[in-house]
Amino acid sequence: MKKHRKSNFAKREERTAYKLLVPALIILLLIAIYPLGQVFYTSFTDRQFASGQETEFVGFDNYRRLLSVTVQQLEPLVDEETNQIVIDDETGNTVYERPIDVLPRDPIRYREYRQFSLMGNQYVLGATDVDFIDAIKNTVVFTVTSVFLELVLGLGVALVVNSNFKGKGATRTAMLIPWAVITVVSARMWEWMLAPNRTGMFNMLLDRFGLTDGSIAFLASSSFQLPAMIAVDVWKTTPFMALLLLAGLQTIPDELYEAAAIDGAGPVKQFFSITFPLLKPAMAVALIFRTLDALRVFDVFQVLLGQSEYSMATYNYFQLIGNRNMGLASAIGVIIFIIIFGFAIIYIKSLGVEMDETS
Amino acid sequence: MKKRTWLSMLLVLVLMFSLLAGCGSPAEEPAETGEPSEEPAEPSEEDVVITVAAGAVGQELELTQMAAQMYMDDNPGVVVEVLDTPDLAQDRLGLYLQFFEAQSSEVDVYQIDVIWPGDLEEHFVDLYEYGAEAVVGEHFPAIVENNTVDGRLVAIPWFTDAGLLYYRTDLLEKYDLDPPETWEELAQQAQVIQQGERDEGNQDFVGFVWQGDAYEGLTCNALEWIASNEGGTIISPEGIITINNENAVEMIDMAATWVGTISPEGVTGMAEEDARAIWQGGNAAFMRNWPYAYSLGQEDDSAVKDRFDVSPLPAGANGEPAATLGGWQLAVSRYSENPEIAADVALFMASYDMQKMRAVDGSLNPTIMDLYEDDDVLEAAPFFGSLYDVFTNAVARPSTASAPNYNAVSTAFFRAVHDVLNGNLDAATAFEELELDLQDITGFDIE
Repeated sequence: MKKHRKSNFAKREERTAYKLLVPALIILLLIAIYPLGQVFYTSFTDRQFASGQETEFVGFDNYRRLLSVTVQQLEPLVDEETNQIVIDDETGNTVYERPIDVLPRDPIRYREYRQFSLMGNQYVLGATDVDFIDAIKNTVVFTVTSVFLELVLGLGVALVVNSNFKGKGATRTAMLIPWAVITVVSARMWEWMLAPNRTGMFNMLLDRFGLTDGSIAFLASSSFQLPAMIAVDVWKTTPFMALLLLAGLQTIPDELYEAAAIDGAGPVKQFFSITFPLLKPAMAVALIFRTLDALRVFDVFQVLLGQSEYSMATYNYFQLIGNRNMGLASAIGVIIFIIIFGFAIIYIKSLGVEMDETS
Repeated sequence: MKKRTWLSMLLVLVLMFSLLAGCGSPAEEPAETGEPSEEPAEPSEEDVVITVAAGAVGQELELTQMAAQMYMDDNPGVVVEVLDTPDLAQDRLGLYLQFFEAQSSEVDVYQIDVIWPGDLEEHFVDLYEYGAEAVVGEHFPAIVENNTVDGRLVAIPWFTDAGLLYYRTDLLEKYDLDPPETWEELAQQAQVIQQGERDEGNQDFVGFVWQGDAYEGLTCNALEWIASNEGGTIISPEGIITINNENAVEMIDMAATWVGTISPEGVTGMAEEDARAIWQGGNAAFMRNWPYAYSLGQEDDSAVKDRFDVSPLPAGANGEPAATLGGWQLAVSRYSENPEIAADVALFMASYDMQKMRAVDGSLNPTIMDLYEDDDVLEAAPFFGSLYDVFTNAVARPSTASAPNYNAVSTAFFRAVHDVLNGNLDAATAFEELELDLQDITGFDIE
C-alpha cells in the first residue's frame, strides 16, 4: 500500500529476501511441483507399472473410464401373449427390464450402480467404474462420520483435561497413547478384537451378555465394514483432536470466565458464549487437518479390508500395484487431489478462517 | 553488485547439487557401504551379499533361513540374507513390483508364485544360462513348462502345492462316517458333526473352514469347486471365457449356503492361516488347505495331532475331484549385481537335498519327482505317496491364457464370488456380469 514510498534500502532488503528464498523455491519445485506434474502427465497416458511396455498418450480416457455415469429408464416388462405388464407374484411389484440389458456397452461398458424410482418410473444409475464410485462414497461417509465423532469426543476430552484436577499431567499423557501407536499396528490389534469368533473381544462380550451367538463377521459382512473402520479411526484420532482443541482452550483467558460467573452466567451459558466462539479458530484448524487426513485414509482400509471394500486411496493402490495401471492410478490420484482441494476450499470459505492475517 | 548476485546463485546451485548427491549416493551404491558391516567376523572386500525374498507362511521362513545357512557354510565369502515378505500373494506381488519399477538390486532371488512367470518374465534372467540345464529334468515337466517363457527358464521350481481336504479321523469314527467324496456329502457330515459337538458343549465348533476372504486364495478355492463340477477354469487354455455356465453357477450358489451354516460367518474373511488356527485348535471337522498345514498339525502343541488325515477334495455332482495347482518358484533378478552367485543360490535351494529337508520338516511338496519315492519323505508325509496323482493332475489357474492380465482377471473373479458368498447377489447374476468384465479385461470371446 505504501509501495511508492519504499526507500532504496527497503528495496534492497526485499531483493536479498528473494535471493534467500531461492533455495527453498527450487527445493519446492523439485520435490513437490515436479512429481505432481509427473502424476498429471502420467494420468493422460496408459503407462504400465514395472514394465518395459511402450507408453501411449490417451488423452482423457482414464478419467472417462473412472467417472462416466449414466441414468437410463427401465421399462416395465410386457408379457408377449397377454400384452399385460408383468407383476411379480411374490412381492406384487412390477417387474422391470434388467439393467444389464439396458446399460450401454460401447465404447465403454456401464455397470449397474443403483436403481431408484422417481415419479412412478424405474431408473438405473450406471457407472463405468462402480468400484471407484463406491470408493468415493465409502471415503466420504467415513470422513464425515469419523471427523464428526472425533470432534464431539475430542471436545469432551479436551474440556475434561483442561480443568484442574490431581494427576492432570498423567492423564494428558495417557490420553495420547492411541495416537502414538502406528496405524498398521493398531489396525492389527483391532483385527484381533473384531475376530469373527469368540477369540475376538467384541464377539466374546456380545456373547457373554447373551446378545448374539458370538459369530458376527465384523470385517467380512458389508453392513459392519464401514462402522468398524470408523470405530478404529475414532479410537485412534480422538486424542489428536483433543490435543489441538486443548491448545485452543488454553488461549482463552480465565478472566472471561470469572467475569461471566460474576454476571451470573451458568456453565452452559459460559460454554456457548465464551468457550465455543473463542475456540472456533482452533476448531477450524483441527477440522481441516482431520478432514484432509481422513480423505486420504489408506492404512486402516488396506490392513482390515484389503480387496473386499476400497477407500479412494486403497483403490488407487490396487490399480497401481495389483493391476499395474499406472496411468489410471495417476488419474485416480489427480481426482483425489481435486476432491481434497474442494473440501479445503469449502472449509476455508464456510468457517471464515483467515489464512493470512496480515494480507 | 552483479558479481555478488552471481556468486550467491552459484552458491545456491552448489548447495543444491551437494544436497542431491548426498541423497543419491547411499541408495545407488548399497553394496559398498553395506558390505563391511554385514559380516563383522570376516570383513572382506570379496564378500558378496545375496538377498532372497521368501515367504513366511507356516515354517517357510525358518526352512529358508536354514538353507541359507547351509549355503554360507559351504561357500565362505557369500552372505545369504533372507527377506521376510507378506503372507498374502497380492501384497507380496506389490512389494516385488516396487523393486522392479526401481530396477533395484536390493533383492537378488525372488520367491514367485506359480501364476507369475508370464507376467514378470521381463525382470528375470534365463536360468539356462547359469547351468539349470543339468537339473531341470528332475522336476515335474508341467511346472518347468509353466516357468518357461519363449524358451527361457525364468524360474526354477521350488515347491508345488495342491488343495487338499483335511478331515478329523477321530470325529468321523465317532459319528460313524467315511471321508466325503462329494461336496454334498461333506456338507451333510459337517452339519452332523458340528451339531453333535456343539450339543456336547463346544460352542465354537464349526464344520468346515476354507479360504473365503477376497484374495487370490478364494480364486483357488472357487476354482476347485467349479472345476470339480465340470464348470471349467474361468477362462479356457485357448482363451475363451467359460465362467458363465450352469455347473459353475450351481456350485457357487451351493458354497454360498455353507456360509453361516457349516462354516462360520467369518469364513468370508479367512485366509490360509486363519483357517489353520481354527483347525489346529481342534475346532473344525474339515478344512481345505495346502499341504504345509500337515506337518504343523502333527506338532506337539497341536490339538489335532494324530487325529486327522488328508484326502483329495470332494467332487461336485457332475464331475471329478479337482485341486488347484499352487506352488512357488525361485527366480533371479535381472537387476542383481551378482547374477551368477544368485543363480547358484537359487539352484542350491531348489536342489534335491534342500527340497528333501523342506518336505520332511515342513511338508512342502517337492517338485523333484524322485523325492516322492524317498523313504524319509514318505515317512514324514505319507500322503505324498498316496496323493501323488492329486499333485500331478492339479488344475492350473488361467494365468498363462490371460497373461499379462491374470491379476485383474482373478480379482474380478474372487470379488464376484465374494459378493455371492456374502449374500449380496446370486451366482447367475454375478457371473453374467463377470463374463462381460472379463471380456473388458482380456478382450477374449465369450463361450
